[in-house]
Amino acid sequence: MPMMTGEQYRASLRDGRRCYIDGELIEDPGEHPMLRTAVASVAGTYDRFYDPAPDAFHPMYTIPRSREDMDRRVKALGQSDITAGTTAACMALVDVAPELGKLRPEYRDRIYAFFDWCKDTDVRCSEAITDAKGHRRKRPLQQDDPDAYVRVVDRQSDGIVIRGAKLHITGAPLVHEQVVLPTKSMKPGEEDYAVACSVPTNAEGLHIVNTTNAPRGEDVRHFPISSRTNMPEGLLVFDDVFVPNERVFLDGETSHAASLAHALGLWERSNAVAYSGSSADRLVGLASLLAEMNGAADRTDIRDRLSELAIYATMCRAGWEAAMANAKTNEDGTLSPASLYVSASKFYNAELHGRMVDILHDIAGALLVEAPTMADHDSAEIGPDVREHLLGEGGWTAAERLKLLHYVRDLTADTYGGWIAVTESLAGGGQYAQRLVTLRHYDLASAKELARKAVGL
Amino acid sequence: MITGDAYRESLGDGRAVWLEGRRVPDVTADPLLAKSVAWVASTYDRYEGVTNPMFRVPMTRDELRDQMEFLVGADRTATTTAGCFALTTLSPGLRSLADEIVGRDARMAAAVDDTAKPVEAQARADGGVELSGGKQHVLGAAVVHELLVLAGDVACAVPVAAEGVRILAHSPAPRAGDDRHFPVSRSSTISEGLVVFDGVAVPAERVFRGADAFRDTLKLWERARAVAEQADRAELIMGLAQVISEMNGITAVPHVRDKLSAIAVYAKMCRAGWDAALGNAQEGPGGMVCPDDAYLCATKSYGSQLYSDMTHYLHDVAGGAVVTAPTIADLEHPVVGDQLRKYMRTMSEVQGEDRTRIFHVIRDLFADTFGGWDKVTNQVVDGGMHAQRMATLDAFDLEPARRRAREAAGIT
Repeated sequence: MPMMTGEQYRASLRDGRRCYIDGELIEDPGEHPMLRTAVASVAGTYDRFYDPAPDAFHPMYTIPRSREDMDRRVKALGQSDITAGTTAACMALVDVAPELGKLRPEYRDRIYAFFDWCKDTDVRCSEAITDAKGHRRKRPLQQDDPDAYVRVVDRQSDGIVIRGAKLHITGAPLVHEQVVLPTKSMKPGEEDYAVACSVPTNAEGLHIVNTTNAPRGEDVRHFPISSRTNMPEGLLVFDDVFVPNERVFLDGETSHAASLAHALGLWERSNAVAYSGSSADRLVGLASLLAEMNGAADRTDIRDRLSELAIYATMCRAGWEAAMANAKTNEDGTLSPASLYVSASKFYNAELHGRMVDILHDIAGALLVEAPTMADHDSAEIGPDVREHLLGEGGWTAAERLKLLHYVRDLTADTYGGWIAVTESLAGGGQYAQRLVTLRHYDLASAKELARKAVGL
Repeated sequence: MITGDAYRESLGDGRAVWLEGRRVPDVTADPLLAKSVAWVASTYDRYEGVTNPMFRVPMTRDELRDQMEFLVGADRTATTTAGCFALTTLSPGLRSLADEIVGRDARMAAAVDDTAKPVEAQARADGGVELSGGKQHVLGAAVVHELLVLAGDVACAVPVAAEGVRILAHSPAPRAGDDRHFPVSRSSTISEGLVVFDGVAVPAERVFRGADAFRDTLKLWERARAVAEQADRAELIMGLAQVISEMNGITAVPHVRDKLSAIAVYAKMCRAGWDAALGNAQEGPGGMVCPDDAYLCATKSYGSQLYSDMTHYLHDVAGGAVVTAPTIADLEHPVVGDQLRKYMRTMSEVQGEDRTRIFHVIRDLFADTFGGWDKVTNQVVDGGMHAQRMATLDAFDLEPARRRAREAAGIT
């Protein structure tokens, strides 16, 4: 099948899906004021990568076999909306296909068939991993509500029925398939919770309740990022949803529940780490411009702070380079970045992010969160006041200052900035999880041997 | 003392206010500014018939403590008004103005920071001055009655509705039609303003000399408020982190206890710094008792340096629902409401709606519009973190420290 255009994508969303926001059922996501820009950004990706050739497909469906493949994929995802990233992560299912195939051959076949179907029909997928979880220290069967983790409540000859909820699902109302995976490892006795499958967004019994980091208001010019790149997060309620066998990738094999979550977790973390260098570079650039704008670029204390940012950016970039230099290939030839460097880098990036943002705020000053809007600037009545009183040093016009201040506020000190701070830290597992994964992959034996030799033991 | 309704009525005085490019004919009717008005009006209603404590200048340490406790709990214009009142101890000439302000039960805001076009005061033949220029970061400008404008060595009291005053307001209040999932900012925001003075005539009786001393006192007052609020905020972070950890069932998890302990240390140190500033309060010019500035500077610097780490820990123990929890309207929906309550609860003792409301507070204060405004404006008090460190060094009594170092090294 040919790829979809943006218009075809928009039409594909009108499929009877039951999505809600602010307590209301959404008739058409493409027309809803809080979702339409997110839909537009996904549609824009469709149009940008559209190719009428019958066998064309988005680069996110390229299974990386080499560093060059990976670089092309990273570049393509950098030019795409977030749902391309979540879809690409879901395609990491093929990473574990060989392992699942040894368990039951049909699992491997179904994963590759699903991959081909997604690629051929040019659809988008979400990563539906995080369960409601109930009491965090109790196993699924110890919860006072057995639905705290998504589980199989019925097995039929042609499929299974699932019940439960998945939280924090990026782009959920705007994709076509919700790829459901276990949130963690399962133990014998927890077979009903060891389930992986894909569910169409318009499936009977699936309800998606959304929040969004999109700005509210008629004039959103002072939200230069979030007015263009916002994305909803869905809470998925599976109210006894039937899943046909061909979309079931794991059902009851507790030994492999964690494999799927780990495979996607690695790709989710990798996506974050791959762009952390350029994101940090942007922070350095913004801080540098703010310093110039305030006439403070030559101050010793400001140069000290800029050097902190520069080290941060360089280390973020180094982390991804090391992850790729130490990448590994599985038996089907799929290349994966090195888990050790991905986790260590993700931890480093998130741990220091707040302090780096502090530097921007310090250089910017209070005007960052109190600047007049672009509407103020363009007003016939008060525009002249704004242009006069916001004139910057070194030739900075009021309009330039306002653009820079609104950009930094939107990115670091408003709704979208809050979403970034929380999700960058928690996506793909929280900070403690990153530390554990790093320690697990670290070559402790070699380190101890080095120490033994050094001490002379 | 007037009522909240009388206060609302008093704002219909023809003041020239703009917000996001449009003229605001009535600040009490604008959806964003009305939230500021409502907060101020609530303080009015609290003190209807009795003199508001903000008009009392503290002359003892106990009075100072009472005053600060009142100000942290009141709307922010009470602090700006109290700060302006503190200046009466520096300049007897301000006393008659202060009496007039008390008589009207009015609110004041200090206009200190200049825009790119600083305010200049041109002397007039009648002894008054004419003000031209701009002031920025004027807290509450659109919803108070008087502006105390510092221009060079001159301070002027200017009615907000005076001819030639234009206010470009900004508000961090929530814009959602149904704002119940913004539990703090829906009722506790004060707008800020960039104020343009376009040839504003100020009569002689409202012009005062000695503005340099005023500036120092106003800055100290602002620093004191920020440090007092920082201690309260740190304890709130502690409380939220503990409550959400309990609701998530993770208080016994070692890495969570690590984070909770870090927040506990932070909260205690912020409180200790503020207590030390109060405990070492000193009598200033005119007899007013002021918190010790060395402790204020050090505590502000300490609190700012670690604030992002603390909110990071809070986000970490709370989880992603900080930014993805459903709204109150979602919980009320007839189709999905029960399902949401089911999946937001974690155990029999925790109701889904209660846990959702905790997430709303965390997001509103530490991961959304108001949280960003609050974080930045408190961080940059006194010029930001570097300036706060330098101020701490300047306020530190170095001589005894040097003497001890010399003694320790045996240098005579």
